[in-house]
Amino acid sequence: MKAKKTQTADSKPQTANINTATPMTWCPGCYNFQILAGVKNYFSSELKKGKSKEDFAICSGIGCQGKIFDYINLNGLNTLHGRELPTSLGIKMGNPNLDVYAFIGDGGCFNEGVSHLVHAARENVDITCIVHNNQVFALTVGQPTGLTEQGFVDKTTPEGVTVKPFNPLKLVLSANATFVARVFADVKQVEWVLNEAKKHKGFKFIEIIQPCIIFHPDVGYKDYVHEIPKSHDVTDFYKAMKLIDDWDYNGIKKGDKINTGIFYKVKRETILDKHWQLKGLVKDKKQWKDRK
Amino acid sequence: MKYNILFGGKAGQGANILTHLLAESLVEEGYYVFYYRDYQSLIRGGHGFNVLTFSDKPVHSHDSKVDVIVALDKNTVDKHQKNLKKGGVLIEGKDANMYFAGRMFKALGLPLKLLDKRLKKMKRYGENIKDVQRGYEYQSTVNSQQSMVLNIPKVQKAKRTFSSGSVGVAEGAVKSGIDNYFAYPMTPATAVLGELAQRQKEYGHLVLELENEIAVANAGAGSAITGAKTMVGTSGGGFCLMTEALSMCGISKIPLVFYLAQRAGPASGVATYNAQADLHMARHAGHGEFPRLVLAPGDPVEAQEITSQIFYLTQKFGVPGILISDKHLAESYYTTEHKPVITKVGHLTKFGRYTSYEQDPTTGSGTEDADVIIANVNERKKRWDALRAECEKFEGYKIYGKKNSKNCIVFWGSPKGAILDAIKGMDVCAIQILYVEPFPKKVGTILKKKDKIVAVENNATGQLCDVIREHTGMLIKDKILRYDARPFLCDELVKKFGRIFK
Repeated sequence: MKAKKTQTADSKPQTANINTATPMTWCPGCYNFQILAGVKNYFSSELKKGKSKEDFAICSGIGCQGKIFDYINLNGLNTLHGRELPTSLGIKMGNPNLDVYAFIGDGGCFNEGVSHLVHAARENVDITCIVHNNQVFALTVGQPTGLTEQGFVDKTTPEGVTVKPFNPLKLVLSANATFVARVFADVKQVEWVLNEAKKHKGFKFIEIIQPCIIFHPDVGYKDYVHEIPKSHDVTDFYKAMKLIDDWDYNGIKKGDKINTGIFYKVKRETILDKHWQLKGLVKDKKQWKDRK
Repeated sequence: MKYNILFGGKAGQGANILTHLLAESLVEEGYYVFYYRDYQSLIRGGHGFNVLTFSDKPVHSHDSKVDVIVALDKNTVDKHQKNLKKGGVLIEGKDANMYFAGRMFKALGLPLKLLDKRLKKMKRYGENIKDVQRGYEYQSTVNSQQSMVLNIPKVQKAKRTFSSGSVGVAEGAVKSGIDNYFAYPMTPATAVLGELAQRQKEYGHLVLELENEIAVANAGAGSAITGAKTMVGTSGGGFCLMTEALSMCGISKIPLVFYLAQRAGPASGVATYNAQADLHMARHAGHGEFPRLVLAPGDPVEAQEITSQIFYLTQKFGVPGILISDKHLAESYYTTEHKPVITKVGHLTKFGRYTSYEQDPTTGSGTEDADVIIANVNERKKRWDALRAECEKFEGYKIYGKKNSKNCIVFWGSPKGAILDAIKGMDVCAIQILYVEPFPKKVGTILKKKDKIVAVENNATGQLCDVIREHTGMLIKDKILRYDARPFLCDELVKKFGRIFK
């Protein structure tokens, strides 16, 4: 494998073995290409380090982000809209030795499937949840999600969105998630955060700020991005809340800070720890079919 | 010889445990026992009752008229005394349930040791056994004076099992090697959740309750694609929430088993009461066209057998399967002699790339290509045909009674018990449909030879009649339909059949 080099938004991923022959249908210049490249770099480096493709499972849903399943040649399920988390939980229960990655849009995660999110966080399900947050339903041509700012106008909301978005990270932190991070849709940041998440056991929640270039134009989010200071204590719940609170998702205002990095990371028993059947399968590196 | 005993009281007074202890003891003594549970959707108070029927011959149902009433409260007397047969026994009083257990054991002449060994496994043994002894002694004093003695003939002891439809489904699942069971509590499916949860230690499978039925069905799909044998369970309302995932199983070849225990609907309906009104839902749930199974056992042994068959067929053909039961089958207890025939299957599903979209088989990704779509649809149709052919190898229907009679009853599911008990000695045959989808081919040929056909269903429209019409073209006009959310009773059916099949 070649060493990684900086990739542009629609650069070809560097590794061949997890590519599919499926033509990519994201808009030219879409930030999803950045995410895809970062994710592929991560998986490729894992494979180089000795992991096999069979160690991973991916799950995505419906929407622009859902297409990522078609562009990564790993096993899994491109499931129904909003059901990425229960589907991923099922995959994990079906084979607890799989490392499971759920890719979800903000609509899927915070509208259709929000009930699953809070329970996955509470149960500390051992999966990595990656939310592509473009603050809009893009593939259905631009309707507001629960994370869209007040005043947003589209064909279905001619008078504008009347309510404030809720803060997804505050929600997931309140639901007792043990790993909460945010990055910008940048290949390096995505790869970095996946490597960080890998070190954590339990439910890993990663938000990727992914401006939609068509239906929720980039108003310069990147200029408001601040890295969380190294001195931040990731086990401090209230400090994490405060850092999250620096941006309320309700448009961009002067003084807003879109903090990126790891807000919160604590150890807690995971769903695998709580069920002896699963612990047994993990300990013996076995699948259900191998048990007596 | 056949006796019906009604136990009634407020929820929380312990009529259930009283019924169950007596039932188990009677089974151990060699009698055939059946009991039905009638209870309201509340935790304490109200009125609930069980009817226990026992006989020296096989019995699978209860009657409207009873020989004994055991009343734990006054309300039970008021509500049920009209159903007490002439010369029947009323046992009432303000006492604990185990006091009445003692009285019943004496009244029926059952050895107290049968009760004692069961009570020893329960909490508060000391207190309970005192109540039992007090009741037993009291009954000894009244046995001679009042007509309190039921002259029960002794029968030969025999080893039989005593179980509910829910126990049957759980046993069938563990014998099929179930790995994961996901559910969200909903009466009357919850009993299977409990039965499977209690078997985890012995069999090693996993039972998980998730946040809602949508999560349950999607987790089921996720688990099933990894190769784990997976079942999910619910009742009608929860099943409605699962149908999008059912459809995904249909397109993605996911072998997920759905346990659907019907209760009276629509919507929240009558939560703790019975109906067979979800057959069409099971057959048509989920958008799009895809192969599926809808299998309907009629007693606990069939519940075991059909559960194993549905695991086999779903694994072999990569299809979703719906195991349809109801409150009456799920929560009534039956004595059975016949050992279930379990159909075994390995873990046939391979983990790979699955998608809820129409799939390009070369990449595992979604596709919009017309030729690939046609090929996929044709593949589904082909698999559907193969599934139909394989299902013909199983007992998709059964015939009881006088097989060559020109009179015929058709039914599915839990009415089986009351129908089989009612047709004894009548010039009639009864045809049970176990495989609703795919529908057994031969049924039409058999039905066409009959002069009079009567359908018996616990719904208001005769849903099985629609299925038969669809597959055979035959219109069944005579229907005995019950839709008061109660199951069929033997003595009531005897009267109805008597009028129809003279």
